[in-house]
Amino acid sequence: MKALKRLFRFLLPPRNWRFTVVILSGIFTGILFFVVYVSNAVSYLSDEPETCINCHVMYPYYASWDKGSHGRDATCADCHVPQDNFIRQYYVKATDGLAHATYFTFRWEPQVIQIKSRGKSVVQENCIRCHLDMVDMVQLVEVTGEIAEKDEGKLCWDCHRETPHGSVRSLSAAPHALVERLPSVMPAWLENLFFGESPSKTRTLPQNEN
Amino acid sequence: MKSIREISEKKPWVNWVLFFATVIIVFVIGLFAATIIERRSEAQLYFQMVEPIPEWEPDNEVWGVNFPRQYESYKKTLDTTFQSKYYGSVMIDYLERYPEMVVMWAGYAFSRDYNQGRGHYYSVKDVHNTLRTGVPQPATCWTCKSTDVPRLMNEMGPSEFYAHTWAEMGPEIQNPIGCQDCHDPNTMNLRITRPALAEAFERQGIDINDATRQEMRSLVCAQCHVEYYFGEDNYLIFPWDEGFSADEMEYYKDRVGHTDWVHALSRAPMLKAQHPDYELYKTGIHAQRDVSCADCHMPYKREGGIKFTDHHLRSPLDNIENSCMVCHRQSEATLQANVYDQQNRVSELRRIAERNLARVHIEAKHAWDAGANEEEMEDILQLIRHSQWRWDWVAAANAMGFHSSSEALRVLATSIQKAQEASIKLTSVFNRYGVEYPIEMPDLSTKEKAQEYIGLDMEKIREEKEEFLEKTLPQWLGSI
Repeated sequence: MKALKRLFRFLLPPRNWRFTVVILSGIFTGILFFVVYVSNAVSYLSDEPETCINCHVMYPYYASWDKGSHGRDATCADCHVPQDNFIRQYYVKATDGLAHATYFTFRWEPQVIQIKSRGKSVVQENCIRCHLDMVDMVQLVEVTGEIAEKDEGKLCWDCHRETPHGSVRSLSAAPHALVERLPSVMPAWLENLFFGESPSKTRTLPQNEN
Repeated sequence: MKSIREISEKKPWVNWVLFFATVIIVFVIGLFAATIIERRSEAQLYFQMVEPIPEWEPDNEVWGVNFPRQYESYKKTLDTTFQSKYYGSVMIDYLERYPEMVVMWAGYAFSRDYNQGRGHYYSVKDVHNTLRTGVPQPATCWTCKSTDVPRLMNEMGPSEFYAHTWAEMGPEIQNPIGCQDCHDPNTMNLRITRPALAEAFERQGIDINDATRQEMRSLVCAQCHVEYYFGEDNYLIFPWDEGFSADEMEYYKDRVGHTDWVHALSRAPMLKAQHPDYELYKTGIHAQRDVSCADCHMPYKREGGIKFTDHHLRSPLDNIENSCMVCHRQSEATLQANVYDQQNRVSELRRIAERNLARVHIEAKHAWDAGANEEEMEDILQLIRHSQWRWDWVAAANAMGFHSSSEALRVLATSIQKAQEASIKLTSVFNRYGVEYPIEMPDLSTKEKAQEYIGLDMEKIREEKEEFLEKTLPQWLGSI
């Protein structure tokens, strides 16, 4: 409590600036809330697979996971986020999330996305976490993404190449993936208020594209 | 610890630092929010026909109004900077690179000028500029060069179109290869606009309308990137009735008695292969795995929330990451090396074939000069015809055999074998007439020397072209 009080006192503006600062902080906080709303930020705290298709680039991967064997029991996060402890789990989520947000904001994302070294290690760990009884005799247990990149060991999917996303990457894997797409930014009730009832605006279905 | 208030009272610039830091943070957050909103609305506004496109609309720009992303990427075929080991989008003077080809095409317009085709955007311009169109050509030559062709064929019917001359149709041909060649203007579905392809399949009892979408992603290319010849009244025909291979097409052309020209040196009844890209690709591993032309040459692309096909048609070597690496897990450098490995092998055999063929044409000329008769030469000329056809079948196709390198190597090997066989037969003719062997070869080290050897007056040919470009062409281009 004392520390908070000190921080508050540290930030306190001069008396004649207080009103302006309050208004400006309000604007700033408002923008933050808006970003939290449009980016579905809260959904990232969960492990729901639908969170991953907040981004269009994930549609083909969602589709191949959904139709594959892992779609029955394992979620995206079960494989792509560390599951050994809470702190590491949220650390990886946060750093990956910030990196992805930066990439998309500045349009740096490649057409054919490739898993990076840390991601490889995480997935490899999670393969072993569930399938330990299958791999403990084939000495894969020690292999990490870094080791595999130095060509000093094989990762599970170096052989199981179709698991779980198939062997084709990018949009070519599922050009017309049937996944639920995000609705308009405007809430349905607000849109209806202004433009009347129009079901197509509230939820978009995938279109047949050429 | 002093509060900011106290610090800033003494150092007023601290306020400015705080101010600008806040500006930057809010700006970036705003940017982040804006991109999310943009992506989300893009996905909803995907297919928006702003202006309906009339049937047979040849102008690519009109299509581009509705499909800006596809059009913008198509316009990148203007780029002529990419160069791979053997090809690319740069203009390459093939006669300069392979001067033997001048001798191999003696008596045929290809000996004047033969360049690597640039992007689709240049299709009409390059045809205007090539020295090959200095000789009278039929309108059939335009068939694959312009979106105006489907329009004209719709107006006058294909046979009437083919019956015209190249120059007569010149003023009508304005737009380069583009949207209409492959797309239906209402639905944007892929469609076949050139009758020759549909007719070739029809003769085999196949209805092209039954093709699947994935097949169409290759068949629209196969309207042009195939072997063809001009039949009666210059009607465009694909020689596929006996099969797709070099051997089967050769058999077919022998059967119908087709000859493109009689060689000026060897007097052999020659065949010119066009660019059997589709046929060669069909024998390759990618076709066997159901990978279409578009999968490598125009891969899917995403811009924000919008998925489309990259219409920048080009060598996948210019775009390895988005084409090859969709399926192949190796690095860009490894994949490029793998392609070059295959191309190097094909190139090696191809060069051997070229040197053999140039030599055998010249040897045949010496045999005629020594007094050999038609009966003695008949088998030899047939071997030369077949040998050069097989070499051309690989050489004229794009990608230096990569579309199916094992088939390319097989065909080149038979080409070399036939040229060698002709050479051996010629030695017995030389023996009979007391000609000293080996025959001394002229200097064919450059295009100019080779053209001089076969007696081409290049200066005059170039002057005629200049005149056409200065006088006739402006009238054509100004006619619509």
